[in-house]
Amino acid sequence: MMINIRIDGRDYQVQEGSTILEAAKQAGIIIPTICYLDGISEEAACSVCVVEVIGAKTLLRACVTKVTAGMEIFTNTERVRKARSLNLELLLASHPKDCFVCDRNQTCELRRIAFDMGIREVRFAKTTKLEMEIDSSSPSIIRDPNKCILCRRCIAVCMKVQSVSAIDSMNRGKLTKISTFMDKGLGNVDCINCGQCLLVCPTGALTENSHIRGVWNALEDPAKVVLVETAPAVRASIGEEFGMAPGSLATGKMAAALRRLGFDKVFDTQFSADLTIMEEGHELISRIKNKGPLPLITSCSPGWIKFAEHFYPRVFEHISSCKSPQQMFGAVAKTYYAQKLNIDPRNITVVSIMPCTAKKFEAQRPEMDSAFEYWKDRMGLKQSDRFQDVDYVLTTREAARMIKEAGIDFTGLADEDFDEPLGVSTGAAVIFGATGGVMEAALRTAYEVLTGKTLEKIDFEAVRGLKGIKTAEVDIDGLNLKVAVASSLSNARVLLEQIQAGESPYSFIEIMTCPGGCIGGGGQPIPTDAAIRQKRMNAIYEEDKNKPLRKSHENPAVRALYREFLGEPLGGLSHHLLHTHYHQRVLV
Amino acid sequence: MAVAVACAPSEKQLDNIIAKYRGSPGELLGVLEEIQQHHPHKYLPAGTLEYVSRKTGVPLSKIYSIVTFYAFFNLKPQGEHSIIICRGTACHTRRSKNLLEYLKKLLGLREDEARQGEKVFLTTVDNKFTLKTVACFGQCALAPVVEVDGVIYSHMTENKLKDIVARVARGGKRK
Repeated sequence: MMINIRIDGRDYQVQEGSTILEAAKQAGIIIPTICYLDGISEEAACSVCVVEVIGAKTLLRACVTKVTAGMEIFTNTERVRKARSLNLELLLASHPKDCFVCDRNQTCELRRIAFDMGIREVRFAKTTKLEMEIDSSSPSIIRDPNKCILCRRCIAVCMKVQSVSAIDSMNRGKLTKISTFMDKGLGNVDCINCGQCLLVCPTGALTENSHIRGVWNALEDPAKVVLVETAPAVRASIGEEFGMAPGSLATGKMAAALRRLGFDKVFDTQFSADLTIMEEGHELISRIKNKGPLPLITSCSPGWIKFAEHFYPRVFEHISSCKSPQQMFGAVAKTYYAQKLNIDPRNITVVSIMPCTAKKFEAQRPEMDSAFEYWKDRMGLKQSDRFQDVDYVLTTREAARMIKEAGIDFTGLADEDFDEPLGVSTGAAVIFGATGGVMEAALRTAYEVLTGKTLEKIDFEAVRGLKGIKTAEVDIDGLNLKVAVASSLSNARVLLEQIQAGESPYSFIEIMTCPGGCIGGGGQPIPTDAAIRQKRMNAIYEEDKNKPLRKSHENPAVRALYREFLGEPLGGLSHHLLHTHYHQRVLV
Repeated sequence: MAVAVACAPSEKQLDNIIAKYRGSPGELLGVLEEIQQHHPHKYLPAGTLEYVSRKTGVPLSKIYSIVTFYAFFNLKPQGEHSIIICRGTACHTRRSKNLLEYLKKLLGLREDEARQGEKVFLTTVDNKFTLKTVACFGQCALAPVVEVDGVIYSHMTENKLKDIVARVARGGKRK
């Protein structure tokens, strides 16, 4: 039902049950918020959104107060402006004043709102002398509690979107802080490193564990051959860091910029995404032919893998043994490519650029050293020579920061191509960046391999889009394949519970950790919201459409890799280099 | 002399306690309270909390949040006797801080510099006394108040405190 209300002296009709914040937004009135997060967090903690309502004794929080018929609201009175400023000033009092060197210098919401509210001095002294310890226990995420303003958005995302709840608010009053069980630190609990908390943090309290220093050092080292691989979702978002509109596809500019940064070869994780489809597609085909175990679940998303290791060890047999494209790339680069160009694998540095913070964790997993294992006997290497398949992982944000630091005019660059052979990819690999993409890519290949026929309609629209769970039935020449796609782990839980109950009707399931898939990953530009995710997703499918080849098994460089080195999908060498296994982790 | 065996409640005991409160409002609070009372040292060891999380499905971070929110819950073993000084506004204005400082000196307790600003939780070396503070007992009219072994004493002074501590240490009962 629509009701009549008055905001700032004008009459509006709004939906009954909406909040003052929503009603004002429809009326084109911006009410500042910090702790509020549309659809996820309504903590009413920051008190920055207060408004004056006629008849109410005190100012009311617009984010949680529902409109009522005849309500008269003022959002812009002296009283409101003073109260908002005061509440902000109190938040600022204890906040560090090191904005110059803060990671979120350009994207801090607290800083922006303080500016918008006209605050030009902080009148209050710091209210606490407590210096809290920075949590650097995680290979992915750093938490600086001193910069935290206790808005609790991170808690809400971790609990509601990911159903992980690695963090909560501890203690009480001025000792309140956001922390983990027994203050063990993010690296020692069931945090899955997805970085969604980091994306919604309004300040610099949550940042990635940066690898920038290591990458500069490698680039400066003349003995190193430094290879870079770029994830599909990065090309659809990195432009935003340079002022391009969300949804701008920057593939060519990105390749050009990375070449100017000094990488010896600019390669593409999409090459190994195609490779993943060859392995995972054949795994699916073999499981269908051998009647199980089904459903098969994708394994590209390292947040999901750690989630399974903590919460769903019983579904291990359903998870594909394929490594993620990032890791397949590293393993192939330091074996096949090293051999092909006769480079000592110890002198190769692989840097990946990922939309993801969990990839930093994945790269340093102890079992991710297949190339070292491959060369150990062949070259007579000692354990002390051990090297990772992927040496450094940069988020989209970190890569952009390096490009800025190097003085490269990103938007002015002419498009360039990736290098061959590990930079060659198909449209099937691009769509890995969006939820449903791995499913669609696998179906394109599985159909043709299973039937021996050419797939005419290669767009599987049913598995596209931002919906949390998507299902479809695919007809593969008479074989009816039921498939499901989930993005965000609270959605994944629904499908996983079905499997544990023995009631899953599906043969193939794709799980991506972050809402919308990698385009909404924890390493992506800030802000990342639903509208921006949609635009990045559109860019991904645009790139797919423009690719001359759109099926992974048609990738000529991947075919050459099998011909010259690997043999066949699921073969012995594939098993050593491209597949992995999972460990149950205790529930802490 | 009999040696008190200090062990946490068994898994069977924990299961019984969890079952007892299942479905009741604020069930986790009830569960945690009873488990703590069951422990000979009146505290909640980390392992016990992990077990409760597994059995109830409540995330560990949430359990830790609750345990650190309420002053009642202890994460460290308690001494044989507990002394809790109220540091609420009314007691503060009646100089409860002096009582705290006096007791620290009397019992030979030292506050760790690094832990300044956190909740006071100090136990004597001989494990006889644990000294804690609380934000308010809700007995403001009787300020300053101090709780010793579950009994609240009103209008406390340093002299009265000294007598109570001496009596408790001897194992004497309340007069």
